[in-house]
Amino acid sequence: MQDETILEITDLNICFEMREGTVNAVNGVNFSVKPGEVLGIVGESGSGKSLSARSIMNLLPRNATVTNGSVKFRKSDGEVVDILAEKRESRKMRELRGGHVGMIFQEPMTALSPVHSIGKQIMTTLSLHTDLSKKAQVERAADLLAMVQMPKPMEMLKKYPHQLSGGMRQRAMIAMALSCNPSLLLADEPTTALDVTTEAQILDLIMSLQDELNMAVIFITHNFGVVAEIADRVSVMYLGNAVETAAVDDIFYNPKHPYTRALLQSIPRLDGQKRRRLQTIEGMVPDPFNLPTGCVFHTRCAEKMAGKCTSQIPELTYFENDQMARCHLHQA
Amino acid sequence: MTNIHVPDDALISVEKLQMHFPIKKGFLGREQGAVKAVDDVSFYIRKGETLGIVGESGSGKSTTARALLRAYEPTGGKIRFKDPDGVWHDLTHKSEAEMRKLRQHMQMIFQDPYASLNPRMTLLQLVSEPLVNIGVTNKSELEDRVADLLSKVGLRPENMSRYPHAFSGGQRQRIGIARALALNPTFIAADESVSALDVSIAAQTINLLQDLQEQMGLTYLFITHDLSMVEHISDRIGVMYAGRLVEVADTASFFEQPLHPYSEALLAAIPIPDPKRARAKKRGLVKGEVADPANLPVGCAFASRCPHASELCHMSNPELTETAGGRFVRCHHSADLKLQGANYDQ
Repeated sequence: MQDETILEITDLNICFEMREGTVNAVNGVNFSVKPGEVLGIVGESGSGKSLSARSIMNLLPRNATVTNGSVKFRKSDGEVVDILAEKRESRKMRELRGGHVGMIFQEPMTALSPVHSIGKQIMTTLSLHTDLSKKAQVERAADLLAMVQMPKPMEMLKKYPHQLSGGMRQRAMIAMALSCNPSLLLADEPTTALDVTTEAQILDLIMSLQDELNMAVIFITHNFGVVAEIADRVSVMYLGNAVETAAVDDIFYNPKHPYTRALLQSIPRLDGQKRRRLQTIEGMVPDPFNLPTGCVFHTRCAEKMAGKCTSQIPELTYFENDQMARCHLHQA
Repeated sequence: MTNIHVPDDALISVEKLQMHFPIKKGFLGREQGAVKAVDDVSFYIRKGETLGIVGESGSGKSTTARALLRAYEPTGGKIRFKDPDGVWHDLTHKSEAEMRKLRQHMQMIFQDPYASLNPRMTLLQLVSEPLVNIGVTNKSELEDRVADLLSKVGLRPENMSRYPHAFSGGQRQRIGIARALALNPTFIAADESVSALDVSIAAQTINLLQDLQEQMGLTYLFITHDLSMVEHISDRIGVMYAGRLVEVADTASFFEQPLHPYSEALLAAIPIPDPKRARAKKRGLVKGEVADPANLPVGCAFASRCPHASELCHMSNPELTETAGGRFVRCHHSADLKLQGANYDQ
């Protein structure tokens, strides 16, 4: 593991054994995160973005098998934890979750407990990971709510999730995730269920907290607009593969993988130029039980090379500025 | 509003549409007020154009569309629809039997392609159901029509004996479109019809809708919360906030310079898929949250979040008024404001 990285995922493969056959949900994903860096992961549904994130928490579904690869996390004291080698319920994992890695989810109503007040839920996290007194816990919880800009934090502590609006619930969840000063925050589509004006507020909040606390963030989304606003680096996923990873500007202005290019052309740009038609990507995402041979994107790729792309799995090609893409076009 | 001038080429005109849902409480179920889901909404749609309606959740977009097709019984206002023979019908006073005839001309496409198709019906049954409803019973005629419709929306007619579960989200949305087209409608209300789809599939569906519009001269009411999508597909845009229409304008001038402060706030909040423009954007974000339609303030519903609000705004609710260029706005101060549009140049 490189010295300056906080998280490193190497060659991760996850599959599900099902009655209908094996689903290879994640096939060789590689990425790393530096302290204080925001990594955006984009992809369509079923591309394996959430699964990759859940592997960092060692919280994969029980029927999932990791067939290859490793996930390594560097704690703030320098110790490196090999997450997938740990047992799901081990002391080390429990210390990591909530303590060193915070997580926020798409739907706060299902992620928060409906029968405990917001204050109680934050204090539970605090009592598990710190040795603060009861009184200090209440103060810390109120501070956290103030930090996520909730009005009247002392009163808010007593509220239950159903009494709050979607935006406020998401703020409460962020407060909970940040309660123990994590060095890495996993955000899995945290703004997808929110309205645009609320989404903008939450994105602003995450960005300012990220800056203030200097934590690393992994931000999963399917929205390229959100990625452009929040990410330093971006990883584009397709059918369980990270097909391209690069700095945000390189992804948008100098994409190397045909899938990245095609995706960027198929979103309306809001640039005042009337286009008659949106560019589309031919066909559909293939059935995960029957992944295409060779490059997984070749069935829909406009630049596929017969013979090569249909039979050989492309290796990662590295470019300047840490850009990497998995495509035969760039291989000599 | 006094009266909007409805142009001659209009297909639908809506005047002061009101849809209130009573809130009942207690043992006797007494009415304790109402959720004003749609309140005083007036607009028209020209034949062959696409009117996009944007707004946040709970702003009354879907309710407006549903009331328009009389899926809800509006509590007030007037909806008029011009049938293909050029005769105007007042939909608010039609009986169910009369509506049934008129619904041939007006159809709806729904948001969730998983929930809007009966899982126990085959494609043939699903798509032919509207035809059977108007009395077509000849089996081979039905099959021919369905095959024709399926190929029109880009599905293979051979699949007509299969069930919806065999199809992906994008394909199911096409089945919904085929169903809506079965009776050759002139008007289609599309309620968030691409919101549940992935980027590349959404683009395919939007292109299909535009092609069909060109081929069949369809008129669309396109409801969405995605402003970039609305910019792409709409000729004109209506913005709703807390059950009221706050602005109607043609797409280009709306994005260049909105007239209502809420429209400005919406435009400032859209995430732009372009990192350089995203960084350059100055963020004037609105504070607070959407007003509760069950408990609307006396004045303008947006006043508590509006940076330009004056005392007048908290006291009285502005009317939707026509301004230059056929635009409509509901704001006391719109004439004095110079609002920021979507910043195109970077």
